[in-house]
Amino acid sequence: MNFLLETLQLIVLSIYYNVEAIIKFCIPSKKKNVTGEIVLITGAGSGIGRLIALEFARMDVALVLWDISEEGMKETTRLSKERGASRIHYYLCDCSDKTEVYRVAEQVKREVGDISILINNAGIVTGKKFMDAPDHLIEKTIEVNTMSHFWTNKAFLPAMVKNNHGHLVTISSSAGLIGVNGLADYCASKFAAIGFAESVALELIATGKDGVKTTIVCPYFINTGMFDGCSTKWPTLLPILDPNYVAKKVVEAILTDQTYLMLPKSMYLLMALKSFLPHKQSVILGMYLGAFNFMDTFQGRQKKRI
Amino acid sequence: MNIAVEFAVVMFKVVWSFVLAGTKWIVRTREKSVVGQVCLITGAGSGLGRLFAKEFARRGASLVLWDINRQGNEETADMVRDIYREITSKREIIGGIQDVPFQPQVYTFVCDVSKRENVYCTAEKVRAEVGNIDFLINNAGVVSGHHLLECPDELIERTMKVNCHAHFWTTKAFLPKMLEQNHGHIVTIASSLGLFTTAGVEDYCASKFGAIGFHESLSHELRASEKDGIKMTLVCPFLVDTGMFKGCKIRKEMAPFFPPLKPEDCVTQAMRAILTDQQMVCTPRAMYAVTFMKTILPFDAIVCMYRFIGADKCMYPFLDHCKESMNNNETKIGS
Repeated sequence: MNFLLETLQLIVLSIYYNVEAIIKFCIPSKKKNVTGEIVLITGAGSGIGRLIALEFARMDVALVLWDISEEGMKETTRLSKERGASRIHYYLCDCSDKTEVYRVAEQVKREVGDISILINNAGIVTGKKFMDAPDHLIEKTIEVNTMSHFWTNKAFLPAMVKNNHGHLVTISSSAGLIGVNGLADYCASKFAAIGFAESVALELIATGKDGVKTTIVCPYFINTGMFDGCSTKWPTLLPILDPNYVAKKVVEAILTDQTYLMLPKSMYLLMALKSFLPHKQSVILGMYLGAFNFMDTFQGRQKKRI
Repeated sequence: MNIAVEFAVVMFKVVWSFVLAGTKWIVRTREKSVVGQVCLITGAGSGLGRLFAKEFARRGASLVLWDINRQGNEETADMVRDIYREITSKREIIGGIQDVPFQPQVYTFVCDVSKRENVYCTAEKVRAEVGNIDFLINNAGVVSGHHLLECPDELIERTMKVNCHAHFWTTKAFLPKMLEQNHGHIVTIASSLGLFTTAGVEDYCASKFGAIGFHESLSHELRASEKDGIKMTLVCPFLVDTGMFKGCKIRKEMAPFFPPLKPEDCVTQAMRAILTDQQMVCTPRAMYAVTFMKTILPFDAIVCMYRFIGADKCMYPFLDHCKESMNNNETKIGS
């Protein structure tokens, strides 16, 4: 197409999308119908994974739970059934193990069907200063938080692409947008998860597979026990989030095909500032927000789930 | 402290840092000297690594070159020795007897940075033969050259291990001594594909995002530990014409605005940033605008922009080129 015409198209569309975004901000979007979808959630035995499962339990979907804790998944199943879930399956799977992911994925495809909503949620944190963190834990963090996404995508994306229908959800973190003192390996893993998810999203768009949606979730810290002990400096501006709120927002984002979800809303502003301000500036901002001391009182889960 | 008071202090610091940043544009900051210091570069056998080696050599630093490719590494070392000879002869011509008698050296080590034990082992050798490192340039990088669903798992793992994990191990190997002496400089050569992404290079984007996340987090950790003698610089070049992404191209009308960088220009700008203790440098500067827009525009608008620039499919010709080479039995792994 003519260059000038395309430039005009770009400007018009950009304005349109910005206006659309503002409108969406004020008026709630229509939620899509997920009846009959098959939803897979990794790390569904606890925390956000469980709560997202419970949200979906109210809808007419099939739930597939993956976790390394059978007990956790049994509990999630019980609670989901209480909320009305009729088709729910769980599988023991260490998603950091590539072979296990592929094996269990095959089992799921045979026993349940093709996954249409994939929620990569499983995550761990070591919570140690980088130089004190054992190498095998650093590697494990990347394996669970990032590389498991590669394997689940490879296992389940082909079917979504073939049907041009599906939804890839990545539960990352605000620590995937901003580096945090005391979370070097965690930040690396969460940044990488975002980079990967976005690249996949762009590939899907470039190949015309607009039926496969992407949602990337970047919550600030949530009080599920994973970051026990941590405290936030200004709770009004950046509160430690309530897990139920996060789960609701995640499901809402999935149902409205929202690509990026940052919680709380003040994160959007912070990210814009970070990319605009001179570096020393964003450091001052970080100090103001207590980002450098967030992990000082970290305790984490009492039971290590590694 | 009261939130209002702290806010006022922060606002003052904001304005002040803008003033400082502004003055930097007018008054050129002095570059620090690296004469007599030791600089370690991973992936020094080719591309940017080789150019960095030459730049540091010109400035009188000793070099420790790491690469998986012995031949490339030795070639770089030869070029560095030529530069040292040039410097020495210039010094003799000028007749500077009072000049620093230090004679810089170059050391080469074959090392596969994707293997943790290899890194630690080679680092031990470096400590024994050379001594302490003042500059650590984490530059080694690979890309698989396949679309995600066609990419063998080993190649995805390899990209992550070289571009991301390797930084962990080199830092663990050399940072302790830097901390002890409260002196050192860690440079992460990431990529603009660590700030925004494109289709077809999922493994590369994941690894570069990861490297940036690690770099940022580590720099905050160092700041918190008040080791202000240790500097960190993040380099995010846009596509550099080293052959690593051969074939990649954006829309031809936009090409004048976003040309693939000449490697020499990229390295010159990066060196300037490193030697003035700048925390981050994007080359070309237009990249800052892209990263800013990414945070304020809705995703659909960004996709629109990418399509317009031709950035959405810019890697496709590169990936086709890789496929062709694979069919012709050339190995395309490695920078």
